[in-house]
Amino acid sequence: MLHRESGVFKTSYAADMALYPLPIARWTVAAVLVIFAVVLPLSLHEYYLSIINLVLIAIVGALGLNILVGYTGQISVGHAAFMSVGAYTAANLAVHLHLPFWVTLPAGGLMAALIGAIVGIPSLRIKGLYLAIATLASQLIIEWVINHTPAISGGAQASIEVPRPTVFGVELKSQGELYFFLLAFAVAAVIATLNIVRSRIGRAFVAIRDQDIAAEIIGINIFRYKLLSFAISSFYAGVCGVLYTYYFGIANYEAFQIVVSIDYLAMIIIGGLGSVLGSIFGAIFVTMLPIAIRILVETFGGYFWDTAALSAVAASMRLIIFGLLIIIFLVLEPEGLNRLWRNIRNYFRVWPFSY
Amino acid sequence: MSQRVRLGISLSLGLMGLLLGPAFAQDKELVIGMQCDRTGATQIVGTTLCPAYHDYVALVNSKGGVEGYKIKVIEIDNEYKVPPAMEAHERFKMEGAVIDSVYGTPQIAALNKKLEEDKILGTSPGFGTAAAADGKKYPYTFPIAASYWSQGAAAVKFAKDKLGGSLKGKKIAYLYYDNPAGKEPIAVLEDLAASEGFELRTFAVPAPGVEMAAQALDITGRFKPDFVITHLFGRSPSVSIKELKGKGFPLSKVVALVWGSAEADINAAGGFGTAEGYSCMQFAGVGHEYPVITQINAMYKAQGKEPPKEQANSVIYNRGVFQAAIHLEAIRNAIKAKGGGKPTGEEVKSGMEQIKDFTLDGLVPPLNITPEDHEGGGWVQIWTVKGGKFEKATEWFQAYRDVVKKHITATN
Amino acid sequence: MWDEAEFAFALLVSGLAIGLMYSLIALGFVLIYKATDAINFAQGEFVMLAGFMATTALAAQMPIWAAIAAAILGMIALSFVLERTVLRPLLGRPVVAVIMATIGLAAILRGLPPITIGAQTKALPLPIGDEPITLWSAVIPPVQVVGVIVSVGFLAVFTWFFLKSRMGIAMRAVADNQQVAMAMGINVERYFAIAWAMAGVVSALGGIIWGSMLGVDTQLSLIGLKVFPVVILGGLDSIVGAVIGGLIVGVVESIAAGYLDPYVGGGTKDFAPYVLMILMLMFKPYGLFGTHRIERV
Repeated sequence: MLHRESGVFKTSYAADMALYPLPIARWTVAAVLVIFAVVLPLSLHEYYLSIINLVLIAIVGALGLNILVGYTGQISVGHAAFMSVGAYTAANLAVHLHLPFWVTLPAGGLMAALIGAIVGIPSLRIKGLYLAIATLASQLIIEWVINHTPAISGGAQASIEVPRPTVFGVELKSQGELYFFLLAFAVAAVIATLNIVRSRIGRAFVAIRDQDIAAEIIGINIFRYKLLSFAISSFYAGVCGVLYTYYFGIANYEAFQIVVSIDYLAMIIIGGLGSVLGSIFGAIFVTMLPIAIRILVETFGGYFWDTAALSAVAASMRLIIFGLLIIIFLVLEPEGLNRLWRNIRNYFRVWPFSY
Repeated sequence: MSQRVRLGISLSLGLMGLLLGPAFAQDKELVIGMQCDRTGATQIVGTTLCPAYHDYVALVNSKGGVEGYKIKVIEIDNEYKVPPAMEAHERFKMEGAVIDSVYGTPQIAALNKKLEEDKILGTSPGFGTAAAADGKKYPYTFPIAASYWSQGAAAVKFAKDKLGGSLKGKKIAYLYYDNPAGKEPIAVLEDLAASEGFELRTFAVPAPGVEMAAQALDITGRFKPDFVITHLFGRSPSVSIKELKGKGFPLSKVVALVWGSAEADINAAGGFGTAEGYSCMQFAGVGHEYPVITQINAMYKAQGKEPPKEQANSVIYNRGVFQAAIHLEAIRNAIKAKGGGKPTGEEVKSGMEQIKDFTLDGLVPPLNITPEDHEGGGWVQIWTVKGGKFEKATEWFQAYRDVVKKHITATN
Repeated sequence: MWDEAEFAFALLVSGLAIGLMYSLIALGFVLIYKATDAINFAQGEFVMLAGFMATTALAAQMPIWAAIAAAILGMIALSFVLERTVLRPLLGRPVVAVIMATIGLAAILRGLPPITIGAQTKALPLPIGDEPITLWSAVIPPVQVVGVIVSVGFLAVFTWFFLKSRMGIAMRAVADNQQVAMAMGINVERYFAIAWAMAGVVSALGGIIWGSMLGVDTQLSLIGLKVFPVVILGGLDSIVGAVIGGLIVGVVESIAAGYLDPYVGGGTKDFAPYVLMILMLMFKPYGLFGTHRIERV
């Protein structure tokens, strides 16, 4: 949409696989970064920043799940459990050892990666629905263990309050300050994912997804790569959990239950399986959809319902529209928002001609 | 789908975002943000509680508002999830809300810090952590009703009275939902078991709690307690009533904490006939025999409408009224203290801390909220199912305050 | 000692009874998977909806048998519609797509009742009395007796159906290989519809029996979560497996609650079947009675 490819000739595979396929893409990316780093925080009200903050955290988690489900073709219904693993690891380190976020954050991710790799072991024998249910079981088992181990959960309430993160001596409190903190990690996660999926690892993942037996025959160590995929995906989830922990100031496993796993699955399905941009679109869409529906019903619902019934209608409508959208996407546009975006881009690429 | 339709869909989705815009409050209007769960795990409560809240506010507004200020309630369904609760709070803040009526234990836990930073008080009647009663540690968090510790202590007191004034050598079973909220009272119960000399055994019911035949067998067949305290949520209270009764345990020796005590629970268990003798704890009154409920119904009648059907579940309905009333009382105190001026969130918080002997004509206990005690004394009533309806078994009472206070100090 | 034996017997019997109640829910899931390869994560919501249909019919002053019939017919109609509009377009797509579609369906089904018939809990009284049946030390509520009878009845009927009846054999052929079945002149789409209708009937009875036990509201859908360990243990495509899996889960839950909980200080009931399930997946991935699938490139 923003640029056209004419006049660019690629003469090597390296050029074809570069992060920026076109010279102009660099400028596009730079422009987007300026908008996000300067224009948005200066112009938006704190409320909108808080929504963006939630989206930024969700992007990290959605990218991780997309690596596992979209790129490697393994199903996980237990993504949220890994978030709680990361959250409690970081919270315990922050509270008991007074470690700063730049230690607790990778530590939370690594712990989640470790647990994720263990949970991934059944994936070597089973796939599809069986794997989905095995990960569902891990979700319940991890929740149970946290709930019943005071050493992890910090007592009967199973919640640990963490101090706000500090960067160069500044305590990050307001949505605006947290915005930059979260933006940095979201950008890092996007870049890391782009690099993973275009590397040897990423191609091995895709080979496993497309036909695992064939992948094994051409020399990909399925055992290693499936576990690696689980570990990487869980690392993202763990980091996502730590970000939630710092954002809310508390680690609490009740914030990471099955419904959250399902929300993240919805994100990557609506956004587009096996696509980085799709993960971002999905995270934006699923986070903002309830808000958009509520505002629509608040604005226009008054013509159809009286005010007393309105709140009830808004809530139920949200659930129904959410479900409908998932089905509509699956039936009509299986490749998700990412595909819609590509269609729009292709339309404008040749605009004003039709092809 | 043609290209054009696809384009149209994407554009309209983009436009949705633009419709957002802060509505600025008028001079003589105060905004309260209310979080609600109408579609999540506890929607059974939310679908009754929230309409009640709106009803009471509408009643006050129809009489000219609070000290001349109209109250505007913004409701947001947080689906019992944490991220939407944060979004809701920020929206309330943008709209200039003076109170954030939080809903849900994980939600209030995640917002504690934010409430304090933004100087907007949040309430958690009947849920949330018991330690939040300490106003020094959590200045902007107000449980405003008996916490799980106070409820546990009150249940022991009730059992003691029912068993003839002494618990020495008696056996009490605690049947609880296996989540943090369910486990919270155990600490207090264990303390009381030591000081009162009874034997306590706990029986966990894991989520979703729709089946507990084995626990009921364990209680009635093996432990054979003198009294059972249940602390269950969602569908499980009704299952506990059926199972305990089915295994031949007298329901007159059962007391449920506040989330197992609604008409809906009794009905789902098979009706008031089945649950005869079952006792349960309340932090707001039961039934329709209160002046404020009569006024709400009169308001509906004046509009030519029937009383709202949510009143059939009067336990939860009355809690919604209670919640709204105490919020408006805090606002009233704040406006009075400012001589009629429009109060800020901070001033409403001091208004809340000045609530004294607030009873709402008997619907709520004699609440006294102070800067130190945000719980309001931990008062409860016990109601018993008798002859097809709830009958009041005790007046408002509080129990073992020293034990509860000890735990609050120890935690903070 | 005698007391212990009595307690163990009571635990066992109540576990078996409740296990067969789980089978009732799992049967609907297995039927759909067996015949159409589709995975229904909305099974709990189907059960809930059947309960709502029955209570709505009761509220309209219908007698109980008419309400049950209405729920069965309603569920059959609904199954037809959903099969047509949602599941059929997804044939041959990845598992995750079907799982997500049924999760979306579940959201819609949970959103509908509050704005149409209200979110309040509704009682669904069956005319079977309240007196529990006593069997030595065990006490079984009458509604569970009904559940047991219906489960065993379904087991008998479906076993006969799939082994002996022409329709059942055709359905097995469809399940085995759709293309070959088509080549043999079997109308595959018709059999898909029939499978969904059968699942609708099972869900309807499941909804009525569970609804009368728990009361009907959106929380009734939570029992859907109980299906997974049952079907994995028994094997996803086995009718007998659903029943045996249900029995195992029921007994394991009972024993976990009776003998494990006192030692670990927490509820292990919900969690024990899942642990068992994971072990099963490690050692015998296709369940006790499931069909092995050999994959070739």
